[in-house]
Amino acid sequence: MKPVEIVLVYQSLLGIYGDRGNAMVLRQRLAWRGIEATLTEVDPGEAVPSTGAVYLLGGGEDAAQISAVRALRADGHLFEAIEAGAVLFAVCAGYQIVGKTFTVGDHDEVIEGLGLLDVTTRRGPERAVGEVLSTWTRPDGTEGLITGFENHGGFTSLGSDAEPLARVEIGVGNCGDGTDGAVQGNVLGIYPHGPILARNPELADHLLERALGHELDPLPNPELDELRRQRIAAVRKAGLRR
Amino acid sequence: MPSTLSTPARPASLTRTEHLRLWTAIRIGNLAALASRLAGRGSGASIRGQVLTRIDPDAFAELVQGHRVLAVSGTNGKTTTTHLLAAAVRSGLGRDAGRLVTNADGANLHYGIASALSERPKSDIAVLETDERVVSDMIAHARPEILVLLNFSRDQLDRHHEIKALGRAWRVALDAAGPLGPTIVANACDPLVVWSAGTAATVVWVETATVWNADGALCPACGTVLTRAATDGRSRWDCPGCDLTQPASAYRVDGEHIVLPNGRMVHPDLQVPGSFNVSNAACALAAAVEFGVPVPDALAGMHTVSAPAGRFATTQFGRTRARLLLAKNPAGWAEALPLATSDPVILAIDSVAADGKDVSWLWDVEYEQLAGRRVVCTGPRAQDLAVRLSYAGVEHEIEPDLRAALGERDLPVDVIATYTPFQRLLKMAGLR
Ligand SMILES: [Zn+2]
Repeated sequence: MKPVEIVLVYQSLLGIYGDRGNAMVLRQRLAWRGIEATLTEVDPGEAVPSTGAVYLLGGGEDAAQISAVRALRADGHLFEAIEAGAVLFAVCAGYQIVGKTFTVGDHDEVIEGLGLLDVTTRRGPERAVGEVLSTWTRPDGTEGLITGFENHGGFTSLGSDAEPLARVEIGVGNCGDGTDGAVQGNVLGIYPHGPILARNPELADHLLERALGHELDPLPNPELDELRRQRIAAVRKAGLRR
Repeated sequence: MPSTLSTPARPASLTRTEHLRLWTAIRIGNLAALASRLAGRGSGASIRGQVLTRIDPDAFAELVQGHRVLAVSGTNGKTTTTHLLAAAVRSGLGRDAGRLVTNADGANLHYGIASALSERPKSDIAVLETDERVVSDMIAHARPEILVLLNFSRDQLDRHHEIKALGRAWRVALDAAGPLGPTIVANACDPLVVWSAGTAATVVWVETATVWNADGALCPACGTVLTRAATDGRSRWDCPGCDLTQPASAYRVDGEHIVLPNGRMVHPDLQVPGSFNVSNAACALAAAVEFGVPVPDALAGMHTVSAPAGRFATTQFGRTRARLLLAKNPAGWAEALPLATSDPVILAIDSVAADGKDVSWLWDVEYEQLAGRRVVCTGPRAQDLAVRLSYAGVEHEIEPDLRAALGERDLPVDVIATYTPFQRLLKMAGLR
């Protein structure tokens, strides 16, 4: 069988919050199950492979967002891959550029995004910074918690073609409306950046299962369970004050 | 007439009222510091500064006047470079070394600087470590003669958000200072530093041979992706989209050596480890020379610096002998990790405000290089580090308590800590 390819897109532009972590987690969770996986890092100017199973976009500053959109459009392969069934998981600024439009700069210049998610982003009333806790619905209909750290100035609203990915318990999320993230077909975006998949192994496995088209064996890990327990307890304790 | 090393500072011009208020504030600040010392709560320097600036909100601006100021800023290496520069200038002053005051403990915000200056009222030369957020005020109020800008990288994004906004503030302040502004001594290898210093009247560039450039992908002026090309083992950056490019340098780091503007090569013979400290020394040397210190005096002074504010100090905790390394962000970890050679190695992580509340940066540090050795994860965020190490395939154990993590060991250990655990270690070791 061909190795599963995880593609980390434009880390030099969109990777300021440890977003590389998401790619490491996906690759390693496959490896731990004995499934061969490769991690491809692609920088602007290089061709984005169209052979990936999961593509990842991370956080970055305004100028980097504009450069990334321009380069991804010019390259075109990401669109082909998603068309062919690959999964795209975008966080933070990466989530914004996947949408229809987002704004940059002091004058809120409107920039056209990749249009892969029916969401629009404009500047929020204040920057959302801090631990965030939300609930998502697993494919089997049961619920799970997502713990992460958000740091974004943009507020995102969903159009009719996109579904929220999670319901916010503590934090801001999309725009303070009680939702965070969006799903549309195989494209998923959410605000908590960086190693969100390290803190949320079920979400990581969900992306992999979606990309592979079959379920994966469970991967018990007490160390990870303990990290989740600590972060969830910390955010609930602090959430009362936020 | 141009200033020389012996030129005295112009006395501060304060009104009677300002003078009286400042004098009162200093007296009360000293009392607060004394009370804090008596209560066993450390040196009292911090409380002195806070009380002082509370009573006299202009204390910082008033105290920096009356000094010839050399300021040092940047994300990493400020404290060490300030110690190197202070030692170099002291050495140049010789018998007059008492003219120099410095914030040696690394208290680099307005109140920390005010506290340090208020302790030494007779000094008229100040070597001041300056937080990036205080640089603009420093330029406006202290009219520094020299301002060293080391590097500019990601640090505590939950507080700073966009580092470019800080660089923009420096540009505005330098532009306002005009031809009377400071002589900048700056790292030519860091695009954000070069852009931030772009409005300065005079710059002495230092080619520091810096390795970390993960934070400098885009041109800060126009947003184009920067290019980097290596010739003769020396990397140079350039912007294809505008005229921002790596400036030609007066000083240059070449391995363990520093190449002077006249082409002569000197060995700084430092007691602080790591190639990044050779870069820091090159900046300190350039600043000292600009200030009028002869090169041999500056080198002799820098040679005396061993454990600036406890960094790189080797100390005893019970039976355990530990070397203390500070790393505050990915660039700092990239420097510190290769220096930590012990097995096991102890890594201490916290996430209070001074460390940055977001520990996402753990995933930007190449902990993979520790594979084959054991790591003791400690500090309040030990669990986050443990998960990171699992994914990196590094063997580890978790001991959240710092003292317990140090244990009673027969072999020396290296400890790398973020800011808060590092301060705790210094306190436990009686170093502050
Ligand atoms: Zn440019």
